[in-house]
Amino acid sequence: MTIQTKPLHSVGVGMKRKEDPRFIQGKGHYVDDLTFPGMLYLSLVRSPYPHAEIKNIDISEAMKVPGVKAVITGKDLEAAGLGWLPTFHGFDKQMVLAIGKVLFQYQEVAAVFAETRAAAVDGAELVQVDYAPLPVVADPFTSKADKVLLRPDRESKTNHIFHWEVGDKDGTARALASSAKRIKQRIWFQRCHPAPLEPCGCVAYFDTMGRLQFHVTSQAPHVYRTALALVTGIPEDKIHVISPDLGGGFGNKVPVYPGYVCAIVGALKIGRPVKWIETRTENLTSTGFARDYHMDVEIGAAADGRVTALRVATTADHGAFDAAADPSKYPAGIFGIVTGSYSFPVAHAEVDAYFTNKAPGGIAYRCSFRVTEASYAIERGMDILADELGMDAVELRKKNFIRKDQFPYPSALGFTYDSGDYHRTLDKALDTIGYPALLAEQVQKRARGELMGIGFSTFTEVVGAGPSKHFDILGIKMFDSAEIRIHPTGAGIVRTGTKSQGQGHETTWAQIVAEELGLDAQTIMVEEGDTDTAPYGLGTYASRSTPVAGAAIVMAARRVREKARKIAAHLLEVGEGDVEWIDYKFQVKGVPSKTVTMKEVAFAAYTNMAQTEPGLEATYYYDPPNMTYPNGAYVAVVDVDRDTGETKVRRFVAVDDCGTVINPMIVEGQIHGGLTEGFAMAFIQEIQYDAEGNNLNTNFTDYLVPTSLETPHWETANTVTPSNHHPMGAKGVGESPNVGSPAAFVNAVIDALSPLGVRHIDMPLTRDKVWRAIRDAEAKKQ
Amino acid sequence: MNLQYSGEETIPASVETVWAFVTDPEKVGRCLPDVVDVVAQDAAHVEAVVKVGVGPVRGKFKVKVELLPAPSKRRIDMKISGGGFGSAVDLTAGADLVESGSDTTLLKWSGQAEARGPIAAVGGRVLDSEAKKLIAKAFGNVRKQLTTT
Repeated sequence: MTIQTKPLHSVGVGMKRKEDPRFIQGKGHYVDDLTFPGMLYLSLVRSPYPHAEIKNIDISEAMKVPGVKAVITGKDLEAAGLGWLPTFHGFDKQMVLAIGKVLFQYQEVAAVFAETRAAAVDGAELVQVDYAPLPVVADPFTSKADKVLLRPDRESKTNHIFHWEVGDKDGTARALASSAKRIKQRIWFQRCHPAPLEPCGCVAYFDTMGRLQFHVTSQAPHVYRTALALVTGIPEDKIHVISPDLGGGFGNKVPVYPGYVCAIVGALKIGRPVKWIETRTENLTSTGFARDYHMDVEIGAAADGRVTALRVATTADHGAFDAAADPSKYPAGIFGIVTGSYSFPVAHAEVDAYFTNKAPGGIAYRCSFRVTEASYAIERGMDILADELGMDAVELRKKNFIRKDQFPYPSALGFTYDSGDYHRTLDKALDTIGYPALLAEQVQKRARGELMGIGFSTFTEVVGAGPSKHFDILGIKMFDSAEIRIHPTGAGIVRTGTKSQGQGHETTWAQIVAEELGLDAQTIMVEEGDTDTAPYGLGTYASRSTPVAGAAIVMAARRVREKARKIAAHLLEVGEGDVEWIDYKFQVKGVPSKTVTMKEVAFAAYTNMAQTEPGLEATYYYDPPNMTYPNGAYVAVVDVDRDTGETKVRRFVAVDDCGTVINPMIVEGQIHGGLTEGFAMAFIQEIQYDAEGNNLNTNFTDYLVPTSLETPHWETANTVTPSNHHPMGAKGVGESPNVGSPAAFVNAVIDALSPLGVRHIDMPLTRDKVWRAIRDAEAKKQ
Repeated sequence: MNLQYSGEETIPASVETVWAFVTDPEKVGRCLPDVVDVVAQDAAHVEAVVKVGVGPVRGKFKVKVELLPAPSKRRIDMKISGGGFGSAVDLTAGADLVESGSDTTLLKWSGQAEARGPIAAVGGRVLDSEAKKLIAKAFGNVRKQLTTT
């Protein structure tokens, strides 16, 4: 790792993160760090029942608690026209506080405002709610039967939310029917939760000008401002959303939650600032979960292993409200990427989503809207096909990869992949891990009855939503923006519509500006998350920051450069056409001795600009022409203990291709984090509900987060195949490891168990589940 | 989480005495463990406040008890539902009164409980044994009350 030694040539340098001194010294500035004079605390009363009629709510005991100022219920909100809030998917709405009935356990039922956090919690415990339990629908397959109608408030009297499909249905059926080999497997990507270390929260107050000041843990502050204006009727200029430092988000901090609305209503009603910070249990049980896709995967292939068709039919569990936060034309997100890295001549994918008495969500947990589900389905499917064909998983993949010369590649499900060199990326992974030696070792171990597995995932994801003709949230197109202002001394500030949650934007954005303008990245400040100052943007999720806002920064910087060129011409006493930008400086064409730096131009922009408009700044709103398609080849090597089912991940090699790398150290850090999350989903994490709709994983003793002790050692490498349309060739990387790694872990474990005849186990591969699979397989053999 | 229990108590009293006791809502209410307050509503209903503590989750539950005596006068069923601090418990219990020698009655009871919310989630690991203890204690209290009177 090289540390930046020169201020110029900024991109590609592993510059230390500018934000880290603040974070590692405990000087980060989070929502819960805020206090205002007279601030009240909000605690929410939540339902113990997953489905029940509310007979009565008695707040009298709660109001007697010293310090409790007010209690509001769904009826109060309904009377004020604030009973429901639209979900970010846009075709459903969600109760702010339960009205008439509750639809999932831990649903918000009443809001208690008090002088202290303790008094608010005490008050909430004393709100007496009379519930009459109703029949519970705890899975989408029961929901499908429509025996219990969960959402009578909706026009359509069914639990079915939507049917979505893409591809050639008949052609796929024909191709599958005539294929020499076919596999079919139900693959469930379990319900899990992003569980950011900092849970969700906000502080709301109305300032002396009557303006709503709203400090909130949001990955998309501008969208919040617009949504709040639409829901509350407060004019948008009277709303100021500030998203300070965020302790992780991973998609969990995209939706607007009932607690936010209650805090604002409380601040308005009582006339004092209100703080709401959810507990860990509240975060795990009521805010956006991820996945819960039951996918029936079918692949057809010729006898030689060449794939002929792919069909995936998914049953999705969306919980009590359709709050999946997907672009409005994509109710199942970008699941169409399910053909992955392979050249399928024909394919068909469909998703049917259902309501259940479970928490709402289905958010994009560190993935670009259902891309992790899709990637897991195809990468598991390819391994099952390899098993069916008796073919090496690597050979099958290489045979079916989209070739380098096929890019830009139009996929069977309608995407145009920008670039890639899948064979090279996989070869690099094979070289790094030493594949032939591992295969030899596996043969020896199998002869001794030991269970060793090698698992691959050669995924392609689709990120950077997205082109305005396809992508919008609540109608707002998914562009992003940047504003750059260079000060007289050559320092500057860049503001974007995105919002870092730990991704390192303060460093990466500064490096892009430095690279484009020949300035020192250390003196470029980055500011995000304040809707009063930042240009409008859709926020940070779906790996869209670098593909969209990063591109906006490049384009804005190039606008600054064009303005600077005019001033440079004046300083160099030549015509503008005689000035060129070479080696991070302006130079008179053909005269290398006559140059002027951007720093000198910046000073002149305020002191000696001649006929040019003073100042040096530019704004750019970037509407991406296409998505970007980062990809990678991951290899996991595991040993499974035959007697206990315990899996040890012995090695893990991740070779990523995210196009041009701006800061390799930050990219490596992103990959480490995402792999650790993938490892957690593969082996330990699941939000389980019992048949009665009780959430069984409500805290960190039941929903496990891996520590450094459990986490394997990650070996990372990369290949660079620049995007053909991003102005820097960058593709985004934040989500690749989360998208790509679960399949590598599972494929490795199944490879280890394959001599026993085990073909599939659903995640998480806990030791008891693996042990049962071994025991059952051995019993069958006897 | 759904929990099931059963047990029996030998009571040194006649079946008629036991029957009179277990069909009296006020008296049944007093047998609830850690009961703080009992208010009989009518001949078959009683409301009570009990202190509940499972693991780290502690507080007061308001419970409603409904008595369902069988015409045979040899079986009593009851529905107990209650809740507090965001948790809820629904319990059904029944007992057969079996004559067991002179002035001795065998109370054979069984019950099942459904617990929800923090009490089930946070107290999950100790809930089963705790609930069993409470139900056994309630029927034990019936025996104690009838032994001392």
